[in-house]
Amino acid sequence: MQELKDEVKKLLEQGSIAGFLGMIATTSGVVPHLFVADKADEIEKLTTGDVRYSLVQILRWIAVRHPDDKFGIMCRACDERAMTEMFRNSQLSMDKVVMLGIPCTDELRIACECEEPTPKSLLFGQSTAKKWDKADVERIDAMETEERLDWWTEQLGKCIKCYGCRNSCPMCFCRVCTLNDDPLVKRGEIPSEFPSFHLTRAFHMAGRCVDCGLCEEACPMDIPIRTIYRKVRLVVGELTNFWTGESKGKSPLAELGDGTFPIQ
Amino acid sequence: MADESGSPFEPKIVAFCCNWCTYAGADLAGGMRLKYEPNFVTVRVMCSARVSPHFIIRAFQEGADGVFIGGCHIGDCHYVKGNYITAKRVAIMKRLLEFLGIPKERLHLVWIAASEGDKYAREVDAFTEKVRAMGPSPLKQVRFWKDATVSKKIYKSEAAAETPAGA
Repeated sequence: MQELKDEVKKLLEQGSIAGFLGMIATTSGVVPHLFVADKADEIEKLTTGDVRYSLVQILRWIAVRHPDDKFGIMCRACDERAMTEMFRNSQLSMDKVVMLGIPCTDELRIACECEEPTPKSLLFGQSTAKKWDKADVERIDAMETEERLDWWTEQLGKCIKCYGCRNSCPMCFCRVCTLNDDPLVKRGEIPSEFPSFHLTRAFHMAGRCVDCGLCEEACPMDIPIRTIYRKVRLVVGELTNFWTGESKGKSPLAELGDGTFPIQ
Repeated sequence: MADESGSPFEPKIVAFCCNWCTYAGADLAGGMRLKYEPNFVTVRVMCSARVSPHFIIRAFQEGADGVFIGGCHIGDCHYVKGNYITAKRVAIMKRLLEFLGIPKERLHLVWIAASEGDKYAREVDAFTEKVRAMGPSPLKQVRFWKDATVSKKIYKSEAAAETPAGA
């Protein structure tokens, strides 16, 4: 923890970054905060916390307004994967960002499971979070087709269309969202259309979802929405050998390819 | 397979046909006086890549028993590489539909050139027969967003939990 504070202090004093996006402990809880050199005493209150925010999206908003400045960001492994995708999709510039990796806290170790819990830029400590064992996806894959439909109707039927999954997502950066497009997906009517509301978003997550789990955390109705996105990630990985947040180069879904992709 | 009125089940299939190849192929099939199944509701699109995932999802949601997408052969696309996208898109969409409980066989992609009128007729017959054998779309049973009586189905497990044992 002290390593992170020292590093942030050093970077801000050197002036190599204009600000550091991390989390601060306040009386009302842990919230995202931009630390700047002018208020160096705040750095003492820097915390890794036991909550997660879509810091990547916040950094994107800051970077849009300050395109020439370089910023530091606190990264868990999931944030780091999201950053990789942001670079790939030209939403952030790699030379304008300094990533400082932190391990997941004990609370997150219990609550969250992930393919690779250790960030590449880890500064201190170690992440011993549970590795994802694919149990949730396999459980649904093992069901009969009708049973699967029943299960999903029941789960997705709980949706109250709060758009929390979209708003908390670090990868949702489109300026115009198709879920706000009335002719395609009706706004403000519940129960939500089955399957268009969730399937549209799931399809859009192909080649994008970094499996951070913020959508499921944000969901007030406890819909296991992460399972669909995990399935999307697996499908894209199996079909094109492209793993979001890990693979190098362009996404095979973002470019046309050579036409050898077979009809399946 | 028969519905409530006793007449045999006839599937309704939404077909998205690319203007340059498959639609012309369908024209040719008509010109050749070929006989094929009348279950298709054809939508002409400029390219098979125009078929957004929305179209497929929406067709199923509004009660289609099957969705058929016809495009040019790879390399023949009027827009050079439009059908490259379609192939990837449909492959992912099929697996997602399957995951949500809609059999992936209900979505069918095929390349039909403008000169292949007979292939069009054969594909229509084969796909219609396949969907007819599969029966009505399972989504017809879960259109709860329009029909309040069906929406009770969603909460049936919760209601069952509230009912005291032995009641």
